[in-house]
Amino acid sequence: MLSVRKTKLRRQALILSMAPMVDVVFLLLIFFALVTRFASAENVQMDLPKPEHSAAQNVQLKDRVVINCRLADPGDIGAGVLYSVGPYPPESLERISARLVVAKKAVEDLKVVIRADRRLPFAAVRVVMQVVAENRIEMMNLVAHVGEGE
Amino acid sequence: MTQEGHQLNAATLQARARSRRQRHIRRQRSSALSVNLTPMIDVTFLLLIFFLVTTTFEKPEGLFAANLPRDSGLSSLALPISPIVVRLTAEGDGCRICIDNFTRVPASFGDLADFLKNVQGNPGFDDQTPVVIIAEDTLAWDHVVGCWNAAVRASCKNIAFGTE
Repeated sequence: MLSVRKTKLRRQALILSMAPMVDVVFLLLIFFALVTRFASAENVQMDLPKPEHSAAQNVQLKDRVVINCRLADPGDIGAGVLYSVGPYPPESLERISARLVVAKKAVEDLKVVIRADRRLPFAAVRVVMQVVAENRIEMMNLVAHVGEGE
Repeated sequence: MTQEGHQLNAATLQARARSRRQRHIRRQRSSALSVNLTPMIDVTFLLLIFFLVTTTFEKPEGLFAANLPRDSGLSSLALPISPIVVRLTAEGDGCRICIDNFTRVPASFGDLADFLKNVQGNPGFDDQTPVVIIAEDTLAWDHVVGCWNAAVRASCKNIAFGTE
């Protein structure tokens, strides 16, 4: 009789209710599945400008070329600047200009989006603007964060 | 053994057999109802960990349209007669804002936006009046975009970059 009670007690002690854990796990899974947006390869991660009360428009442009201007070393402002077109690796401004020529031939109404690190000197971005202007591309867009800045 | 003893034994055996049958039926029923959740939980955890590791919360990005003039480069901008020229110079980590032909020196880009908005009410100025931003080469891009943003906030329609 005593042994039967002991066995029952042991069995009860081992029972683990999985339902709340599964509930929480599913809740988290649904949350992450809904909020996740896979990063676009053409938008290289960088510290974009954060203007006060940003009036930047969140629009999706068709027929665009994204030019990324970022610091060679994110921790060192004097380390130089890397320029890249969309998902391509960093390359020279001449090469970028050649890419723009090809893109302009394919799409007459080509738009250029310049994404530049907020810490870059203006001169580093101005050279890109000059390349864009030399290729007679009129539609240029500057990227900044939307919403309140610092 | 007495007859009573035999009857008792038979009754006990019958009761045991009944209880064994009932236990067997119960076990069968319970096994039919149980679903093995382990693989599902495995997959769920795998997905959860994947999302946890890959998710980076990013701030939304927006665009400022900065259209370039047709058939000309930046240095050859055809400036209209009375544009508002905003000059930006680096001052430590900050930025100094000066406006040509105006004595007022805006302390911040918010102040500049208010100024540009107020200027539009004056004779000879409106939202079509060009605003030309001339920035120092060493000035951080953040300040240049801040200035552009101030002009956009002031509803200026013609904003351009200029060079000395």
